[in-house]
Amino acid sequence: MGNNYSEISKKIQETGRKLLSEGKVERIIGFGRGEFTGQITPIFVTESERAEELLFTPECDMMLAKYLLDYKGSKTGIVAKPCDTRAITVYLAEELIKREEVYIIGINDCEGLEENDACDECGVRNPVVADEEIGKPRSEDVDAEIEDDLEGMSSEERFEYFQKEFARCIRCYACREACFVCACDECFVDSNQPQWVGNSIGKRDNFTFHLMRVMHMAGRCINCGACEQACPEGINMRALTKHLYRVAKEVYQFEPGLDPEEKTLFATYKLNDSEQGFLD
Amino acid sequence: MAAKENFEPKILAFLCNWCSYAAADLAGSSRMQYPPQIRVIRVPCSGRIDPFLLIRAFNSGVDGILVSGCHPGDCHYLDGNYYARRRFLMLKELMQYAGIAEERVNFTWCSASEGKRFAAIVDRVVTRIKEVGPWEGFDGRGFARREEEMASGK
Repeated sequence: MGNNYSEISKKIQETGRKLLSEGKVERIIGFGRGEFTGQITPIFVTESERAEELLFTPECDMMLAKYLLDYKGSKTGIVAKPCDTRAITVYLAEELIKREEVYIIGINDCEGLEENDACDECGVRNPVVADEEIGKPRSEDVDAEIEDDLEGMSSEERFEYFQKEFARCIRCYACREACFVCACDECFVDSNQPQWVGNSIGKRDNFTFHLMRVMHMAGRCINCGACEQACPEGINMRALTKHLYRVAKEVYQFEPGLDPEEKTLFATYKLNDSEQGFLD
Repeated sequence: MAAKENFEPKILAFLCNWCSYAAADLAGSSRMQYPPQIRVIRVPCSGRIDPFLLIRAFNSGVDGILVSGCHPGDCHYLDGNYYARRRFLMLKELMQYAGIAEERVNFTWCSASEGKRFAAIVDRVVTRIKEVGPWEGFDGRGFARREEEMASGK
């Protein structure tokens, strides 16, 4: 780790104080102390005197980007890890937020979170977009690759595997709440006209729910691992999203959250797109 | 998979109003023979088809699906099928990876003049799905048994 956490915290506080006192932003979304000892929680700082409360520690594992959607129409500063900047990039590409409405305080040289497996597969260690970067950027390339968890399994084995995994799902929708992609005005699971999928817990509806969820993630999921961290049942739900991530990369050379100017996968097309698997 | 011999699959076909639906019509009015196991849903464009509809079809117990739209470049709405193409490829990859037999998820293009081709496609799809047998559902319980149970009041 090239950067020191207390140094980062200090710089975030300085920046926050400056931005708030100059009136450049109305609030700063960052990390701070929670109610319990050692707890780190998202905090929203609106006065420059409170800027000292902003912190950055190894426990800062939540994705803050989703809060930006609550503050559309006013200028917001945000403390962003590299994955947060990728999430913001997806929002920008989908025109959910305006670039001039966010001030991104990016953290350089992210070494990944200990309890999040997705971080080992992430090759983005510096912010993708930022108004201000804190800490020294990491110069060397990280050649992390997104793994195939079920490599070598036959079709039937995979089906059984997912049946078992999804049977544990209690449909608490913690994955949805944690996921930055899940920003629809009305989630398909809450819709009852049409009712896309039954709300009860059962193998059939659980499987359907997860397939539909993944279909919404395609071309947007950045593989941040927030869903698995939030899941109380420890379901390996990234197996499916990762597969689509890999397919999009192979077939369309598309990776979400790297370029705010590039349209997301399903929002555009090419005339010579692949038709593999289609009946001719 | 017990009743594989006399298995008559239920296949849901989503056909674009401007091409494949007309092709089906042409096949019919030209007295072409093709298997009767498809249930046709007419849609305004293949771009109209939400992948959710297809996933939901499997949840409801169809043995396979067929989606047919206009050939790339021929879309009545200019580019609906180009968007659809990406979606369907990803959906197919997803279903395949989740362990649903590849044969159950079929996509193709068919223009209004290709009645013969439409009949051939349906024939092919039905053969493919007959080969993999009845869809047992995401819970693996099967739908035929469920219907029997419901009928007998269990």
